[in-house]
Amino acid sequence: MNKTSYFNQCLARHEELLFQELAQASMWKPEYVGIDYIQSKEIQGNTVEEVVDNCIKEMKADGLVKDASYKQGPEGILLKLVVRGCMHMEKEVMLKKNGVKPYCCPITNMIFDRILELLGYEITFLGGNLEVDEETGECVIKCGIWESAEKVGETVSDWKNF
Amino acid sequence: MGDILDVISTRKSIRRYKPEPIPDELLFKVLEAGRWAPTGENDQPWIFIVVTDPATRKRIGELGRIETGAFCTAEYGMGRLQERFAGVKDPTNRERVMRMMYSGETSQIATNAPVIIVVAGTVNALNTPYDLCAAIENMLLEAHALGLGGVWVEGPAGPTRRKKIFKELLGIPTGMGEYHIQAYIAFGWPLEKRKHPRPKKPLEDLVHWEKFGNKERN
Repeated sequence: MNKTSYFNQCLARHEELLFQELAQASMWKPEYVGIDYIQSKEIQGNTVEEVVDNCIKEMKADGLVKDASYKQGPEGILLKLVVRGCMHMEKEVMLKKNGVKPYCCPITNMIFDRILELLGYEITFLGGNLEVDEETGECVIKCGIWESAEKVGETVSDWKNF
Repeated sequence: MGDILDVISTRKSIRRYKPEPIPDELLFKVLEAGRWAPTGENDQPWIFIVVTDPATRKRIGELGRIETGAFCTAEYGMGRLQERFAGVKDPTNRERVMRMMYSGETSQIATNAPVIIVVAGTVNALNTPYDLCAAIENMLLEAHALGLGGVWVEGPAGPTRRKKIFKELLGIPTGMGEYHIQAYIAFGWPLEKRKHPRPKKPLEDLVHWEKFGNKERN
């Protein structure tokens, strides 16, 4: 077994425990998982696009993901991430096998952290909208990012078909 | 000893209040009820922060609004909010209700309650979150028995980042190894009519006898 497998197994067991204790509320808790890595990097950017691009560049360079892409919804709230070849895929697959819908994506947490800290956004939200496809090795993540408190609740749109 | 099932079964969450303050005598009775909650190892990890200052309550209300608004906007986007309220037949009313949810207005309760009690506790105890929840229930029941209305609000104490902001606002140390903040309870004289609580599942759906799955009593 390689060290990545061991590490993913440990993470999966922790997430299972949290889910068992908190049920659906567990999705609100692991926001800090992964952020120490991204905070150790000199990520720059003045826009969401620049920040996300620069985070992905670092993560690819260090082999955390093979590739990742994203697009923003028209109102600037929805951020759809597509992550391929993530080093945490094994963790997500293990959770799914054990009947727990994956809810903690360190890659998303890192991007959120930089959007919040560098751009001063008010709030980000993943909420378990994380689809893991072990066949294709791809995760699709639909999350919300709000620039200011006033923008929260201002508008809604169809995220399902975006 | 009196049976308190009537108190338990007539309590409902009250989210709208008259502006009149709660007399100290009643407030202390509510707090006293919290103090007597069951607690693992008799640890009594709780602290109760009573907040009446309008500016602080407004900020707490706004924290809750933002959190609920973000969550419900995502729920709407994924189609789950629409499923949840599909039973509301009138489309105008359905849209109004959903708007209250995704705008987060539904969670701004602290702003208009004359008093809120923030329930936190030291994590240096065996069962902190469970003890705190027991204290919350005790306080809600006592408030109801006294004719007050109250509601248990998790909102700003839920997500990890928001919880940190909530702690900072109240001067609670933010280290993860120090204090846990569970929720706040809003209290006031009810403005809403005390309709009967929402329908509850029948007992026979909930009770299993001796082992999981045994619905018939031998």
